[in-house]
Amino acid sequence: MNTATTQVARLLAMVPYLQARPGVPIAEVAEVFGVTKRQVLADLNVLWMCGLPGGLPDDLIEIDMDAAEGEGIVHLGNADYLSRPLRFTRDEAVSLVVALQAVSEMASGRLREAAESAASKLALVTGHHDPVLLAVDTGDEELREQLLSAIEAGRRVRLTYDGATRGETTTPVVDPAAIQMRDSAAYLQAWSVSRQAWRTYRLDRIAELAMTGETIEDHGQPPQLPEGWFDASDGAVTLLLTQSAAWVADYYPMLAIDERQDGHLMVRMAFSDPAWLESLLLRLGDQASVLDPFGAGASAARAAEEALALTALICGGLPD
Amino acid sequence: MARRKTERLVNLTILLLSSRRFVSREQIRATVEGYRGSSEEAFQRMFERDKDELRALGVPIETGSNDPLFSDEQGYRISRTDFELPPIEFTPDEATVLGLASTVWQQASMAEDTTHALAKLRAAGIEPDAGRLTALAPRLSAREEAFEPLWQAVVDRQVVQFGYRTADEVRTVEPWRLAWRNNSWYLVGHDRDRRAPRVFKLARMTGVPSTVGEPDAFDRPDEELISRHTTVLTSRVADLTALLAIRGARAPALRRRGAPAQAARPLPAGFHAYRVPFTSGYAAGEIASFGADVVVLEPETLRAEVVSHLRGVLRAHAPDRPEPQRNPA
Repeated sequence: MNTATTQVARLLAMVPYLQARPGVPIAEVAEVFGVTKRQVLADLNVLWMCGLPGGLPDDLIEIDMDAAEGEGIVHLGNADYLSRPLRFTRDEAVSLVVALQAVSEMASGRLREAAESAASKLALVTGHHDPVLLAVDTGDEELREQLLSAIEAGRRVRLTYDGATRGETTTPVVDPAAIQMRDSAAYLQAWSVSRQAWRTYRLDRIAELAMTGETIEDHGQPPQLPEGWFDASDGAVTLLLTQSAAWVADYYPMLAIDERQDGHLMVRMAFSDPAWLESLLLRLGDQASVLDPFGAGASAARAAEEALALTALICGGLPD
Repeated sequence: MARRKTERLVNLTILLLSSRRFVSREQIRATVEGYRGSSEEAFQRMFERDKDELRALGVPIETGSNDPLFSDEQGYRISRTDFELPPIEFTPDEATVLGLASTVWQQASMAEDTTHALAKLRAAGIEPDAGRLTALAPRLSAREEAFEPLWQAVVDRQVVQFGYRTADEVRTVEPWRLAWRNNSWYLVGHDRDRRAPRVFKLARMTGVPSTVGEPDAFDRPDEELISRHTTVLTSRVADLTALLAIRGARAPALRRRGAPAQAARPLPAGFHAYRVPFTSGYAAGEIASFGADVVVLEPETLRAEVVSHLRGVLRAHAPDRPEPQRNPA
C-alpha cells in the first residue's frame, strides 16, 4: 500500500471516530491510529478539504483547526455520510481473530469465554476465520485461573515446581506478578521470597499451587522477558546428526543447518543449560556426535556410564 | 502530491457513498476536485487507478446503470450496506480482551493490521481497554523470513512455492494453516507434487516462498482434517508400560505421567518404582535422556534397548573409555 491509500484507509476510520468523540485530544487520536501527533494534524488538514460535491463551504467537513493546532483537541462535524467505519479487510480480521485466539489460550474462565465469543462475533461480521492454529503450553486451565486470581487479589502462593528436564521438584514461595507468553510457552513471573529476586516459572511445569494466606509485598514491576529463545542462551554447539536424528533440526530452533552429501546434517544450535544438552545427547544415542566445542559430549558419556553401572547394580548385570 | 491524491480518493468515496443512483463518469469528472480540468486521457488513467486502489482497501465500488433500457450508460456507486461495518456489540469483558489482543502481535505488519482493526472498532463506538489486564501478556512473533509471505498466502488462499531442506528441492503447496509448535512455525498444506497433505517447518525453507497463480485458488479442507495433520507434530500414542526405578524427585515429567508401583527387587536408597506409559520406538531414547536417574526394571526387552542405546552414547562421545564392569560383585 502506498502512502496515499494508507492515509485514505485511516481517514475513513478517523471521520466516524472523531464524530463520536467531540473534543478528543490529538494525543489520543495518534495513539489509537498508531501515528504521530504531527501526522494527525496533517490528516485533519486533508479532511478539511473533503466533503460533498458542490464546492460550497457548507458541503465540506467542518473541523476546528484552531482548537486542533492550539489546544490539541479535535472537533469534527458535518460528515453524517461517514458515521460508520469501513468493513474489515481480510488481513485486519484475521490478525485480530488470531490475536484473540492467543489471548484465549492464556486466559481462563470468564476472560477465556470473552475472547472466544469476541472472536466468533468478529468472524460472523467479517466472514473471515483464523488461518493459524495455536498450540501454547499453558499448563492446566484451573491452575492458570487460580494464579490469575492470586495476582489480582495480591496473594502469596507456594508452587510445586518441576525443574527443567533433569531437575528436581521444588516448592518455592512466591509473590506472583504476571503471566507472559514467549515462544509458545506461558510463564509466570514472580518474586521468589527465598531468593529475594524475580524468577520465571513455566506454567506447564507448575504441578500445584497453594495459598499461603499472606499478602504480597510491593516489588515494583517485574523485568521484561527477553523476546526470543536465543536471547536466554549462553552456549552453542555444533552437532553431526544421522538421518534418523534429523528430527532434531525440525524440532528445535537452529542457528544453522547444513546438509552434507552423505545425508548427514551438520547443525549449530544455541542452548542455555548444559544439563539440557547432556539430556539431548543421551536421547540421541549414537545418532549424534559433537563437532564443536571439543568435549561437549563428555558429560553425556559420563552420565551414560553411570546409568549402565546403576542398571548392572540393580538388575544384577547387563545384557550383551 | 500524496495529499492531493488522498483528497481525491476521499472525495470520490464520499460522492459515490452519498448517491443512491449510479454516478456517470462524466458527472464524476465534473464534480470531484482532483479530476476537474484534467484531460480526458489523464482522467481515465487516474480514475481507473483510483477505483482499483479503493477496492483494494475494501471499498465496494459497484458498476451499473440507472436505466435498465439504456444499460450502456454505465455509472458507479457504493452501497452503504456493503461499505459500513455491520452493527456489532461487545460486552465489557469482550472489550477488555480486544484491548489485550491489540498488544499480541510482535510482527510489524500484523501489529499494524490489528491496530487498524481496533481503530475501526473504536470508530464504531466500541472502547477496547486492556487496562485492567496487566497480569496477562500473550505475545506472538515469528523470526522466520518465510512467515509473512506464507501468512498472506494462507489468508489469500494462494498456492506457494518454496525450496525445502536443500536448495534444489522445490515444493508447490496449497497453504491451509500456520501452526505454532515447539518454538517453531509450521505450514500445513496440500503438497501438489506428492498429492498429499504435508507439514513443513518454516525454518527449513530455503529462501522466501513465492506465490503461484491467483488468490482464492483452492478450498481448505474442514477443520478436523487440518487439526489431525498438525497433531502429528506433538502427540504420540502410548502402547507400552514400563516399570521404572526413579531417583528421588528427579524426572518429574515421567513421575507425573505414571503411577507409583512396587518393585520385585530391592532398589538403592532414594529410588522408587513407577509404572509409566511410553510409545515404543521412542521409549529407549526418552528413558536414556534421564541418565542415571532412571533405570528400567521391566520389561527386559526395553531394558536391553536402553542399555544398547547408552552404549551408543559412549561410542559417540567417549570412544576411548572402557565400558563399566559388567558384573559387579
